Amino acid sequence: MTAKAKQPHAMKIKKSAGDRAFEIILIVLFCLFTLLCVFPFYYLFINTISNNDAVTSGLVNFYPVGVHFTNYTNLLNASDLGNALIVTIARTVLGTALMVLTSAWAGYLVTKQKMWKRKLWYRALVITMYFNAGLVPWYMNMLMLGLTNNFLAYIIPGMVAPYNIILVKTYIESIPASLEESATIDGATTTKVFLRIILPLSVPILATISIFGAVGNWNSFQDSLLLMSGRPDLYTLQHRLYVYLNTTSNLGAVMNAGAGGVNTAAAQSLLNTKVIKYTVSMVTIIPILLVYPFMQRYFVKGIMMGSVKG
Amino acid sequence: MQTAVTAHQNTAHSKRSYGFLIPYWIHRAVILLAGMMVFFSPVNPGRILKQVNENASLFTTAFSYDNIATQLKSAISRSAITEGDIRNVMTGCLIVLVSVLLCAVGGCMSAGNIRMKKRGIIFPIVGSLGMFGGLSVIWNRYRAVYVFVTENNKVSRATPITADGSMPQSILVFGIVAALILLTSLVILALLIKKEQEEKMEMEEKYKLFLMFLPVLLLTFVFAYLPIYGWRFAFFDYKIGDELSASNFVGFHWFSTLVSNEATRADIVRVLKNTLAMSGLGILTSWLPIAFAVLLAEIPSSKFQRFVQTFTTIPNFISWVLVYAIAYAIFSTDGFINSFLTNVVGRATSTDYLANADHIWLKMLLWGTWKGIGWSAIIYIAGIAGIDQQLYEAASVDGANRFQRIWHITVPGLLPTYMVMLLMSIAGILSNGMEQYLVFSNALNKDVIEVLDLYVYNIGIGSGQIPLSTVVGITKSLVGVILLFGANGISKLLRGESII
Repeated sequence: MTAKAKQPHAMKIKKSAGDRAFEIILIVLFCLFTLLCVFPFYYLFINTISNNDAVTSGLVNFYPVGVHFTNYTNLLNASDLGNALIVTIARTVLGTALMVLTSAWAGYLVTKQKMWKRKLWYRALVITMYFNAGLVPWYMNMLMLGLTNNFLAYIIPGMVAPYNIILVKTYIESIPASLEESATIDGATTTKVFLRIILPLSVPILATISIFGAVGNWNSFQDSLLLMSGRPDLYTLQHRLYVYLNTTSNLGAVMNAGAGGVNTAAAQSLLNTKVIKYTVSMVTIIPILLVYPFMQRYFVKGIMMGSVKG
Repeated sequence: MQTAVTAHQNTAHSKRSYGFLIPYWIHRAVILLAGMMVFFSPVNPGRILKQVNENASLFTTAFSYDNIATQLKSAISRSAITEGDIRNVMTGCLIVLVSVLLCAVGGCMSAGNIRMKKRGIIFPIVGSLGMFGGLSVIWNRYRAVYVFVTENNKVSRATPITADGSMPQSILVFGIVAALILLTSLVILALLIKKEQEEKMEMEEKYKLFLMFLPVLLLTFVFAYLPIYGWRFAFFDYKIGDELSASNFVGFHWFSTLVSNEATRADIVRVLKNTLAMSGLGILTSWLPIAFAVLLAEIPSSKFQRFVQTFTTIPNFISWVLVYAIAYAIFSTDGFINSFLTNVVGRATSTDYLANADHIWLKMLLWGTWKGIGWSAIIYIAGIAGIDQQLYEAASVDGANRFQRIWHITVPGLLPTYMVMLLMSIAGILSNGMEQYLVFSNALNKDVIEVLDLYVYNIGIGSGQIPLSTVVGITKSLVGVILLFGANGISKLLRGESII
């Protein structure tokens, strides 16, 4: 599942008392740090499912009090959060799919030695990882392309991801060339070889980059902040959360106004600003925590492949 | 007989190479130029009025009605122009766009054999004529609008792009390009007509592969190289909504402002101090993941190792906004620490640990470490797994204790990887990103948390000082490139291997 370290001392027969003590200290330290990494998520979660009055008085510290789940249902109904959720899911699905397809296609083509001026194009692609023109020129460029206040800005610029292209290229280069050669001799075109041979064989690496792409899209905040200032309905979830976290006035009232004052019952139980902030945070975290256990091996594989120079 | 055939093929080959070369390359270059002009805002034939967004390109104008109409709202409401006018211009732009696309198809087909070339040359001929058509639609509408607004005294609402109603430069430029495409197409057609064509349309493999790769290159160009064109703002006295012209050209004024203007200089020094301090702290603690990995490997249970790894990598996958949300939940006035202290320990007052400027560099370092250490350790954990076990066994036989084995076997084994990471972080010393510092910044800690990237955002997007922030960005990009090459040189010198 994870990158495993072999035991350097596996063959050792007897351990001294000092060794034992050292290991126990280590175990305690690691447990503490692990707790440090996990507790904040747990704390957020118990505060969103506890009695809202208890939360306000700061009584929910280690275990939930008066469990209920209405915060979640109310929040999704009573706010513009649902909108942000749809936008974020749409960009995650579309953006990731297009990025993976482009990376696979580009990664395959750059392995082709025959391509006209291949080295030049490949270099031009790789340089963009290390060099960028700067934030403001980038912004002015997006303005020029009409990609401000436009959902396409979430998807199109992310299609070409040089790092992922390098990963795919490195992976495809490890596939035996004879497979492709025999198909070519049988008369398969480049596109056919790509679809029938390369694509099925590169599923592991494509899974890896799609996980990274999906997490990146889900966590996207900067592009929404910079480009969508005129379209609050296109804010991503992270941006929406950022706005909520920085709202010091009564969030319940703000949301109620946003919902056109219709959903008063929902808003009333949500008048607690703190609970709203916690719940929105939790809505944003939960998907990551849900997919994380299944995806962890891909994450690890990704970083290991990244360390192989392209 | 045999030699005769070869000789014939040779002459055919050389004819193909030299007879076409020059007109074809001019032809393709002009088509490429037309393709680029579609995305350049200064040559936008659709911008017939000064009120139209000067940052919109032909491409934008053709597709985004809102982009143009928002600035023309008052002009429309005072009936200086009509929505029909806008639609009409948009249609013209769309025709030009489609025509350029046709030319591009022809340009691609020109890489094929004679048969394909002959078929392909039709596209740029039709395309260039289409461009003329689209341009004349825009031009006619421009004349009509010009006459209408000048006769009805509505020039202040809808200002035509040329004061005397002559042909706008952008239309002229596009027209010249279209004429060039048409001319080169006709020359090529004349050259082609005499050629014998093959049975089937074919293209050499190397060009086929290139054309398949072309869309990726175009996207790269548009999103990674085209922004460099935005560097021009550094040389103008520019605010959003202004136009770039000779009158507001200021040369290197903004570059010298960086050092000559006292307030700006003080800002830059302060921001650089923050940047270098926080990057420096990061570099000083960059060995922590190694320690994490080495110590974790000392625990003789792979289950425990996996358990720790699983949970300590989670923070790496949440965004900085969420890290801030967690910081808020734990450290704010009514967060965990305070409610624990008041309700469990019984302290009377609560402290806001977030909204103050104390030890902010250290706090940022700790958050960065919390988020990243488990993830950064993975690469070293794998590195440890790759170290030859026999080394440890031999060391044990020789009587080396645990710490000697770590120090003399594990650490040297991980050093090459660490060197790469270290050099990369030194090369990126000026770019610590803005997200972390943006989400944690507030009125109280703004002065000590503002790093270079955040400063560029704050003055550029926040307060609209486009030229100054561009200048800072350019300087940062160039220094970054120099640092990267420097680090790469060091790596080549020390390890005989490049890092980029």
